[in-house]
Amino acid sequence: MDPKMTEVTQMFARFKAAYARNDLDACVTLLSQLKVHLTKFPSLPPSFQQTPNAVEELKLARDIYEHAVVLSVKLEDQDAFERDFCQLKPYYMDTCGIIPPSAEEYPILGLNLLRLLVQNRIAEFHTELELLPVKALEHPCIKHAVELEQSFMEGAYNRVLSARQAVPHETYVYFMDLLAKTVRDEIAGCSEKGYDSLSVSDAKQMLMFSSDQDLHEYITEEHPEWEITNGAVFFQKAKESQPCKEIPSLQLINQTLSYARELERIV
Amino acid sequence: MAAAAVMVSSAGSLLAMLQEPAPELKLHALASLNSLVHAFWHEISTSVSSIESLYEDEEFVQRQLAALVASKVFFYLGELNDALSYALGAGPLFDVSDDSDYAQTLLAKALDEYVAIQSRATGEEKTMDPRLEAIVERMLDKCILDGKYQQAMGMSVECRRLDKLEGAISRCDNLHGALSYCINLSHQYVSHREYRLEILRCLVKIYQTLPNPDYLSICQCLMFLGDPVSVASILDKLISGSNDDALLAYQTAFDLAENENQAFLLNVRNHLDALSSHTSARVDPDSGPAVPSNQTNAATEPSGDVQMRDDINMPNGSATTVDPNAATHADRMTKIKGILSGETSIQLTLQFLYSHNRSDLQILKTIKQAVEMRNSVCHSATICSNAIMHAGTTVDTFLRENLEWLGRATNWAKFSATAGLGVIHRGHLQQGRALMAPYLPQNGAGGSGSPYSEGGALYALGLIHANHGEGIKDFLRESLRNATSEVVQHGACLGLGLAALGTSDEEICEDIKNILYTDSAVASEAAGIGMGLLMVGTASEKATEMLAYAHDTQHEKIIRGLSLGIALTVYGREEEADTLIEQMTRDQDPILRYGGMYALALAYRGTANNKAIHQLLHFAVSDVSDDVRRTAVLALGFVLYNEPEQTPRIVSLLSESYNPHVRYGAALAVGISCAGTGLSEAISLLEPLTSDVVDFVRQGALIAMAMVMIQTNESYDSRVGAFRRQLEKIILDKHEDTMSKMGAILASGILDAGGRNVTIKLKSRSKHDRLTAVVGLAVFTQFWYWYPLTYFISLAFSPTALIGLNSDLKVPKFEFLSNAKPSLFDYPKPVTQQTATASVKVPAAILSTYAKSKSRAKKEAESKAKEKAEESSIASTSMQVDGAAAEKKAPEPEPTFQILTNPARVVPAQEKFIKFLEDSRYKPVKAAPSGFVLLQDLKPTEAEELTLTDAPSTAATTNAPASSASEPAAMAVDDEPQPPRLSSTLIRGYDDPRIGMYGLGCL
Repeated sequence: MDPKMTEVTQMFARFKAAYARNDLDACVTLLSQLKVHLTKFPSLPPSFQQTPNAVEELKLARDIYEHAVVLSVKLEDQDAFERDFCQLKPYYMDTCGIIPPSAEEYPILGLNLLRLLVQNRIAEFHTELELLPVKALEHPCIKHAVELEQSFMEGAYNRVLSARQAVPHETYVYFMDLLAKTVRDEIAGCSEKGYDSLSVSDAKQMLMFSSDQDLHEYITEEHPEWEITNGAVFFQKAKESQPCKEIPSLQLINQTLSYARELERIV
Repeated sequence: MAAAAVMVSSAGSLLAMLQEPAPELKLHALASLNSLVHAFWHEISTSVSSIESLYEDEEFVQRQLAALVASKVFFYLGELNDALSYALGAGPLFDVSDDSDYAQTLLAKALDEYVAIQSRATGEEKTMDPRLEAIVERMLDKCILDGKYQQAMGMSVECRRLDKLEGAISRCDNLHGALSYCINLSHQYVSHREYRLEILRCLVKIYQTLPNPDYLSICQCLMFLGDPVSVASILDKLISGSNDDALLAYQTAFDLAENENQAFLLNVRNHLDALSSHTSARVDPDSGPAVPSNQTNAATEPSGDVQMRDDINMPNGSATTVDPNAATHADRMTKIKGILSGETSIQLTLQFLYSHNRSDLQILKTIKQAVEMRNSVCHSATICSNAIMHAGTTVDTFLRENLEWLGRATNWAKFSATAGLGVIHRGHLQQGRALMAPYLPQNGAGGSGSPYSEGGALYALGLIHANHGEGIKDFLRESLRNATSEVVQHGACLGLGLAALGTSDEEICEDIKNILYTDSAVASEAAGIGMGLLMVGTASEKATEMLAYAHDTQHEKIIRGLSLGIALTVYGREEEADTLIEQMTRDQDPILRYGGMYALALAYRGTANNKAIHQLLHFAVSDVSDDVRRTAVLALGFVLYNEPEQTPRIVSLLSESYNPHVRYGAALAVGISCAGTGLSEAISLLEPLTSDVVDFVRQGALIAMAMVMIQTNESYDSRVGAFRRQLEKIILDKHEDTMSKMGAILASGILDAGGRNVTIKLKSRSKHDRLTAVVGLAVFTQFWYWYPLTYFISLAFSPTALIGLNSDLKVPKFEFLSNAKPSLFDYPKPVTQQTATASVKVPAAILSTYAKSKSRAKKEAESKAKEKAEESSIASTSMQVDGAAAEKKAPEPEPTFQILTNPARVVPAQEKFIKFLEDSRYKPVKAAPSGFVLLQDLKPTEAEELTLTDAPSTAATTNAPASSASEPAAMAVDDEPQPPRLSSTLIRGYDDPRIGMYGLGCL
């Protein structure tokens, strides 16, 4: 076996060991070393050179990146998740003819969908969805994300929140927690549009806070423009009415006159 | 596994990798992106800012790679400026030899940028990015290495990198081709004068290092650079060489003379004298002791006009005693000086124009009959038209036949009539003074003739000797000093200006200045123009003096004369003239602004300089004075004459202006720039203007149309025939305005100018500007104010002939081929007058015999011509000439080629069809389709057959004094078939087929 390959495999084994004993710091350092090593493999995307052990290399790389994605979830690092997922994606999209599909493919894709939902990037969510084959929609992980999105769009937030109990994969829990906050933001946005004011107790119920204290914290953090007076929350809407733009009439008149003058000169 | 087709579907993974903290990963991502950017630029563009920040990160190892990727992305986004600045950042990674769109586009962009910086005026800040320079240099080096020399030359000329230009030329395998390519390049595309001179200097330097230089081109360059010394030494070297070298020297001299730069040619001659006196201790009796300095030499030249070097053809008597080598040298020296002085070419041209004169007197007769006697404008226009029609032919039959009618010209009309003789005898250097003698002011006698004819005669002398006034200028100066009448002074000033065109002779200048300061309107006006003519293109200090006087004087005429004069001084100086132009165009006085327009026109003549065009268009639409606007539009014609196709497009809007002055200007602008081209667009633009509602617009349009259509016949463009008929209609129409009638009369003259053997050409065959022609046309346009100036148009005429010469500068019998239908470039048919003949039925008996004999003669002539054509066709195809072939009578109506015999009329449009026969006895030194061509005799032992020996000079001298008497001169021996005594009705009839039939029936 290729010495480089051996080295990477060994290192990956160490990574897996560290992961198993939950030594996350060691994992991160090992991972970044692994990634650097991976750049030396010519058969990996984007070059896809046909080397004798291309299949092994590709499989190994895919495995590493899948682990990277899972690790980033564990680290609760959304940026790293996005990075790793993007780098993993070519192994799913472009290598179908070379290596067999991975077992982890759909859970990870579903995870990504969930992330997009959490980050409220609905457009990208749908783009990703369109890229999947029809049969993938049957997979519980994908189905879960799709159903969540539908509930989310319908405004059936209670269904979204209750879905947390029925996650198809243990890694999903982290994002489901985040989803609750996204739902809250969505509700807050709607209420702002829908009401002039809301009593504190109604607002508390609506935004699913258990105490007034939580509500206050939320408001000061996320919506400092809201006011709480006399036991009611006032949503300010004054700022939206901006004065309509003035027409630069004088300038236009001057321009027209000078055009007319020029025209007269030429003809 | 068909893995070749495997491609990533997105650059997302790489972009993600770019965000990784590890620099190795970033690097890897960048490198991959660089190879994929053509496919995924749209994806990358969203995160290009991260790439940019990588480039700006001082810590990052591969900043240049980042710059390259960013540059590519910006290129695909269409942001070329950003792309270029990043490409510069990419340094050596940017590959100039890349064939991709990206590299090519950015290289072009880089070049543009570099050129823009390089061509900034010296005063401005030049901040050249060294990286940009490096890229351009790499590109140039690569072109040279790849053998793309033309590309390299073009680029280095444009980038102002003469060092690279030199490198490119010297490595090129076809050196001569490369050099002539560069010369073309510098004339066509380099608009900055100083820089053009620099290029030429560089080219000459290269030329001189060659073992076998192309002297024709070198001398052209040197002339452009104004270096008479080198030209003289080259010529001297050539004439000291073999016979072929001497031929080459003659050809070079002819080419130089054709550019009509009198001052330069004079200097060359002086230096030749100096050289020859060094090389052989021979005394040239012709030009006296050689004096190297130009100023003094001009004064020591022999002063008699008849004495002027007419010894060109005779061997030098005193030199024959010396050894034969020196004798041939001396002989050649005389010849070359004759050519350089322009006399040889003028003489040959004169002979050609005289022998080939095909002017149609019937047209003039029609005009004369149609014009009312009392209308002096039309009367003198007719005289002028005659003069133009016969310009340079020395045929004054019409005047002799109508002396009484001619006598009706009084005052200034008389001035013009006399001056007209000068146009007819233009170039008749030897006999000029004798011809004009009856009219010239008599020394001492004072009151011999009218001052008008005396002034006119002096002006006529100027026209005869225009630009070749060596012999006549002293006489003119004397006449100027003695003149008391302002009319005579007027004529003398114009004459002197013409004769000493562009010589900037100090003494003459003083004399004219004295006249100027007399502040008499008529004389000083001419003095102003005369000074301008004298100092054409010298950009001398005198211009400021003239400008100051223009501010002082009260007379509008003087201001006008001066402003035109000032404009003439800056002829061809381009940027150098900008200060003066600025001064004039900003003046309060509209007349000076008017002069400013001329200054712009002349300074930027034939350059199509964008700045000048812009300025002129601005004045054309914004000035308050109609005169200035008219002139501004007209001036466009001068600026654009090197690109005649452009002019109709540029002035088309102006030609529809509400202002008749602007329309007039537009018409003349087209006339000037498209003169002699027969350009279809120009004719289309002028056509509606010839029936404009305003009379003077019609006048301008008719004249312009004639200038465009000169030497095109009906079978070339059918509108020519229509135009001729329109002219006739206008002239015959009793109710037509005088203005447009005058235009029509002049137009008829211009259309058939010089016996139908000349065209108006502002560029010489070597693509130089013909100074005399441009100046002539510029002053001609001044006829708006002063009719006598119309005659200046004769300066612009250039004979359309191919004249082959042997080593004795004689015209041998020599044939060549014109590969086109003869009718396409034939002379127009003689005019017949259906309208008149329909009513006037002439006695049939006379007519029929005449018609019969005529037709018989015609038939004979035709069959002869056919035989001839056939014979030569066989000669050219099967290379054998035998008389038996002539018996074959092919019935083909129109041959597709024509054999022309030296010297032959070759109109400009015909030039591309001219071919030299392979098996001819003579071989041209330079394969030029027209002009003077030296012929190398391949069989020098055989006897030569010469043609064109009948010089008109002998006939004219004997008859010159008779011109005052009323007898019909013997001079009327032109090749027009009808005898001059025939009554006009007969001439009208002979070509009309109907009458011919009728006559035959009667018999």
